[in-house]
Amino acid sequence: MLKREVSEETRRVARSAARWLTLIESGEASENDHQALQRWRNAHVSHEHAWQKIQALRSRFGGVPPELAMASLDRPDQGRRRLLKGLLGAAAVAPAAWLVSHELPIWRADLATRVGEQRRLTLADGSVLDLNTDSALNLDAAQRRLILLRGEVALRVAAGSPFVIETDQGRATLSAGEICVRQQGDSCQFSVFSGAGQLQPTAYDTLALQPGQRLTLRGGRVESTQAFDVRQLGWRDGVLMANDQPLGDFLRELERYRPGVLRWSPSLERLRVTGSFRLADTDQVLDLLAASLPLDVHKRTRYWVTLVPREKIA
Amino acid sequence: MGGVAVASERAFNELYREHRSWLEQWLSRRMGNGWDAADLSQDAFMRVLVGSQAISELQEPRAYLKTIGKRLLINLYKRRSLEQAYLDALAQLPESCAPSPEERWLVLETLQALDELLDGLPHVVRRAFLLSQLEGLGYRDIAERLEVSERSVKRYMAQAYEHCLLVELC
Repeated sequence: MLKREVSEETRRVARSAARWLTLIESGEASENDHQALQRWRNAHVSHEHAWQKIQALRSRFGGVPPELAMASLDRPDQGRRRLLKGLLGAAAVAPAAWLVSHELPIWRADLATRVGEQRRLTLADGSVLDLNTDSALNLDAAQRRLILLRGEVALRVAAGSPFVIETDQGRATLSAGEICVRQQGDSCQFSVFSGAGQLQPTAYDTLALQPGQRLTLRGGRVESTQAFDVRQLGWRDGVLMANDQPLGDFLRELERYRPGVLRWSPSLERLRVTGSFRLADTDQVLDLLAASLPLDVHKRTRYWVTLVPREKIA
Repeated sequence: MGGVAVASERAFNELYREHRSWLEQWLSRRMGNGWDAADLSQDAFMRVLVGSQAISELQEPRAYLKTIGKRLLINLYKRRSLEQAYLDALAQLPESCAPSPEERWLVLETLQALDELLDGLPHVVRRAFLLSQLEGLGYRDIAERLEVSERSVKRYMAQAYEHCLLVELC
């Protein structure tokens, strides 16, 4: 956010400095380019000033521990921020106001799990709630109502009055049965195992929830309806299951359970994985992948792991 | 000149008296708790006070307050989400790698400032820039990581440098 009006001249100088720096950093600069840069710097005191500033900028980022900085500055909730911005812009619309009030207090949720953690809770009425990795919810057990703030929850609803699960995409109501709800970026999946209920998307008509069905909501509307693959609930038993799954998809799942940074070369995306993997030890999962697929695990630190294609021995 | 100052002070007092509890309620509905809302509404009025907008000329004071309130909410949300991400990352570092308690706070402060500096950049630009600044990756590696062309990376980097430099120069 710029504090005051910026002159056209300042913009022009900033743009030039940025272009010079990227040319140098790209490694494409010729000897002539370097001389031209020197001439540009000498041409005006404002040029040299901008050049010094842009150099100083680089050292500002160098002063923080990279793992912490990457995890905080590249945090994966950019989508939610956009959503929040959009919603605040349209705060007059009723469902939006409802959403924002639940959107903000994530840091003080009733029940939350860290990355890699799963928690099970049995409620007084006998309903069982499983919270998956990196998740948070607010619970009103007496009213049989929960608000999923982040992540994934599976709920076995004991017979009785309907149980309500609210998310920023919609509200599910189930009288007895089993349901799994997962917030993922700006979409939300509702998977029903057994029992039947209703789903009220924030921006669409109420529809029936059928067992064996997985409904994805985005923007408060139904984006897709698919058959529900029971393997997706392996996490409740601490297992991640894959059946001829593209490695990229598998790693994106595994990443949810793993503290720290996990990266992989794009060329590994299309390898295939099959098997059951224990979530309690994701290091071991990586080792198993390395044992069965042509890839190597590079550990920069324990919390900074990169998968690369195995180098061929010449 | 004194007369102008008094008039604007009166306008401010009036604005505060008439709209403070309304703004507080408006904020409270969005935040789900009263204390933070009270804090934030004070903050909003402070901004009005030091801002350049002449209060007596406001046609719709509540719309104006709401705009300021929204901006403060977004800022607060960003700061808290950064703090949460930072604390999570800290918790996952092995004891021996973690900064000392004094350093933790300083690092967070620095990260908040960097987060604000990068605010407004498209996500992919931000990520390209972070990969370069934090991981020290070259443009070719960034291109591979983001699955875009090297030319795009160059463009992203120029955009990010220009954005940050403009913030610094202003």
